[in-house]
Amino acid sequence: MRIFVISLAILTSVVFASSVFAIEYGGFGGRPAYPRADNPRTESIFVHTLEPGDIQKEGVLTVNNSAERKTILVYAVDSTPSTGGAFACAQASDARKDVGAWITLEKGEVTLEPGTNELVPFTIRVPQNASVGEHNGCIVMQEKKEPVKGQSGASLSFRTGLRVAITIPGELTRKLEIVGFTVTKKDDGGFLLHPLVKNLGNVSIDADARVITRYFFGLTHFIHGGQYPILRAETSDWNFELKKPFWGGWYRSSFAVEYDENPEAGVGIKSGKELTRLEGPSVWFFSFPTPAGLAIEVVVLLALASVGFLFWLSRKRKRWIKENWVSYEIKTGEDIKSLAERFDVSWKLIAKVNKLKPPYALKQGEKIKVPPRG
Amino acid sequence: MHKIIRKLLGKLNIVFALVLSVMMAGGLGGATYVLASSTSNFTQTINAGTLAVDIVDGSYVTVDNPTMAMSAATFSFSCQTKTGSFGTASEVIYVSNPDAADNGWTVSLAAQATTNVWDSAGTDFDFNDPTDSGCTDGADADAFGGQMTVDASVGTLAVGQCVSCGTANITKGSSAAFSEGTTNTITILTGDALSDDIGDWKLTGVSISQKIPAEQPAATDYNINMVLSIAAS
Repeated sequence: MRIFVISLAILTSVVFASSVFAIEYGGFGGRPAYPRADNPRTESIFVHTLEPGDIQKEGVLTVNNSAERKTILVYAVDSTPSTGGAFACAQASDARKDVGAWITLEKGEVTLEPGTNELVPFTIRVPQNASVGEHNGCIVMQEKKEPVKGQSGASLSFRTGLRVAITIPGELTRKLEIVGFTVTKKDDGGFLLHPLVKNLGNVSIDADARVITRYFFGLTHFIHGGQYPILRAETSDWNFELKKPFWGGWYRSSFAVEYDENPEAGVGIKSGKELTRLEGPSVWFFSFPTPAGLAIEVVVLLALASVGFLFWLSRKRKRWIKENWVSYEIKTGEDIKSLAERFDVSWKLIAKVNKLKPPYALKQGEKIKVPPRG
Repeated sequence: MHKIIRKLLGKLNIVFALVLSVMMAGGLGGATYVLASSTSNFTQTINAGTLAVDIVDGSYVTVDNPTMAMSAATFSFSCQTKTGSFGTASEVIYVSNPDAADNGWTVSLAAQATTNVWDSAGTDFDFNDPTDSGCTDGADADAFGGQMTVDASVGTLAVGQCVSCGTANITKGSSAAFSEGTTNTITILTGDALSDDIGDWKLTGVSISQKIPAEQPAATDYNINMVLSIAAS
């Protein structure tokens, strides 16, 4: 009895000693196992500065947050530029020539129960002939699946890649160049703002790209942009969608890019010095207003036209009165109302033209202006 | 007397062991009970999730073995273009970033290998041969013509289940055609460093068009293996 109870106690302590809830989101993938406090970027990707011949120990924490048991393939590949200069990981079938070839993983696959994770250590061995500058690769996690036979169409598989950025110290060049900016109209009436920036250096650069669209008179209509990594020797381009402007008219979009050109900067590291700003071309374009905008504009224009017409009519009438009304001497018994009836005009107009004040009394012999008839 | 003391001590050991087991079992439920203490510590950890891309249905349930079907083609003596839509109401391209990639990410589409083809039991055709706008076989290693174009810019991007995230700083890729050795990977979606660190997004209506060479034999089993990747950058 005593042995049983003590065994139960020990077992309970082992099972529940550090019992905590762990809540994670769905999907599978991984994250760097050893993020560094000096570079927050290392929480998402692997960043190292290594000399040729260096060996770096690292680790990826593979995670299965899905509701199913999964076998996940873990492998290293080189990076490859995707369209638009975006960062992408090469396929497992592609030959490894760069960082993908420098990495040796201790495991090629892990089987994880739902809600569990496993550390997969790996080693980065930089070859002696590695060139100065930034080299990129990926640690990829892909579910191991048997191909489905007899399926028609494009069969899809999914994977998550974590960038591995290795910088070999030396003469690091950080330089960007704006190579173009176009604005094209879309079928829905909106516009596609398409800037292009080339990295002339040998390291990737985090650039702050901004497209500012202004109304004809210079007021800002919309600002597009963000911070994007522009990979070594690649040209990056982005599609910023401008919705069809409500009011329509002529607009001007200008492109500018800011980046840290200072050699102290790196992946996830800012130099703290002044940023370099490049101004790109401006593009003028015309947009027809939306139906609601057009309706409001028509109403406003009609109202303005009416006001203008009334103003013009008033001016014309004043000029006619000034040129054509004649001087008239008030006779005995005449007052402003009798004069109005006689000359077939309103008494108010006579009072206004002659600047008469209430009670509009007229004296005999007084001269006032009246219409040329009566 | 000694016997009585020994018996009492034996019973005390049993009582002690029982109390110990109750203390340890207190760990169940996240609480640890300590004798002589009137407070309890409740601990809870919320781990960061992982960046992921998937195809889900309208209820965010992963679709098993998703495919992207092209519109049916009829045998033709001339080169023809057939279109398809990648990301539909029942098979949504779903991206989730639960605080896993704070400095941006890219979703891209590629074939499992650049040497892949639209494979069938009969004659195959290519997805990345730009010769004659994809209508004839060119200089690549295989002997098939054909080219696939992907245009994410016409797709519809929307927020998924998250309450506080938006689509700002997420851009769709431009139209691009696969070309062996030149364009092996096509960008579908890019989240920049200023996009929401915690968020999930749905993309539908990515246009896919495929040039099918003239006199391509009729078959119902043309298939190609594609890989949808998400990479933290």
